[in-house]
Amino acid sequence: MTVSESVTLERILDAPVDLVWRMWTEAEHFAAWYGPTGATVPVVEMDVRVGGRRHFCMQMQTPDGDRKVWFVGEYRVVDPPTLLRYTESMSDSDGNLVSPEAMGMPLDHPEVTEVTVELDDFDGRTRIVMTHAGVPADSPGATGWNMALDKLEAHLAA
Amino acid sequence: MLTLDHPLDEGRLDVVFAALANSTRRAILARLAQGEATVNELAEPFAMTLPAISKHIKVLERAGLIQRSRHAQFRPCRFDPGPLADVAGWAEQYRPIWEERFDRLSDHLQLIQPTSEGTES
Repeated sequence: MTVSESVTLERILDAPVDLVWRMWTEAEHFAAWYGPTGATVPVVEMDVRVGGRRHFCMQMQTPDGDRKVWFVGEYRVVDPPTLLRYTESMSDSDGNLVSPEAMGMPLDHPEVTEVTVELDDFDGRTRIVMTHAGVPADSPGATGWNMALDKLEAHLAA
Repeated sequence: MLTLDHPLDEGRLDVVFAALANSTRRAILARLAQGEATVNELAEPFAMTLPAISKHIKVLERAGLIQRSRHAQFRPCRFDPGPLADVAGWAEQYRPIWEERFDRLSDHLQLIQPTSEGTES
């Protein structure tokens, strides 16, 4: 039995590693591809160094008018051009955390998630492995539910 | 990330989480993960009456975490991990979002690179 708390994707991208790194770490590039179709991603802050803040917005047109959702996070690992790790939480326009539940996300959604991007040279192209995971129990946002599930999983695996 | 195509059934999740929010019930599931057992067998490690254990089992059954055989004489309980896969769903819901993102990243890379590969194919 697997209780999956993360999602991992792997792709080969037709570009050298250095360039793919810039797609993640330069605001104008990041904004160009990151948002869902039809959305714009006005980046407010992208201070790409360990402990540096990231703060951006997704703005999309809905039938009810413009909708903006803000995200805030911190860079945890910055190892150009191969390893990038950052946290992400839903926030307000000032970067204060808001609960995912208040934003209409499923109730088991962790308040803090972590994205890890690994880049490798693949014959002049780039192999990218991205893992998006919930941040475990020690984070301020970890919920009792996640801890309960972790415990249960450990219990079941024993 | 904003609108998920297939939101989890919140009512069902409530029932599953409520069922998991009890150490006795988690211990029962842990026991059943090793193989099916009768109510008597499940009750053994606990200082609890059979009716009390039966109550816990009913809660787990209602949450879909336990299946009970209808016909066998002692109606053994079996662990069903299905609902746990549902509650673990938050991460899986990001998969299509990231897939789409990577498509756009791929397109964007094509757009900004001087096209040497454009002539190859």
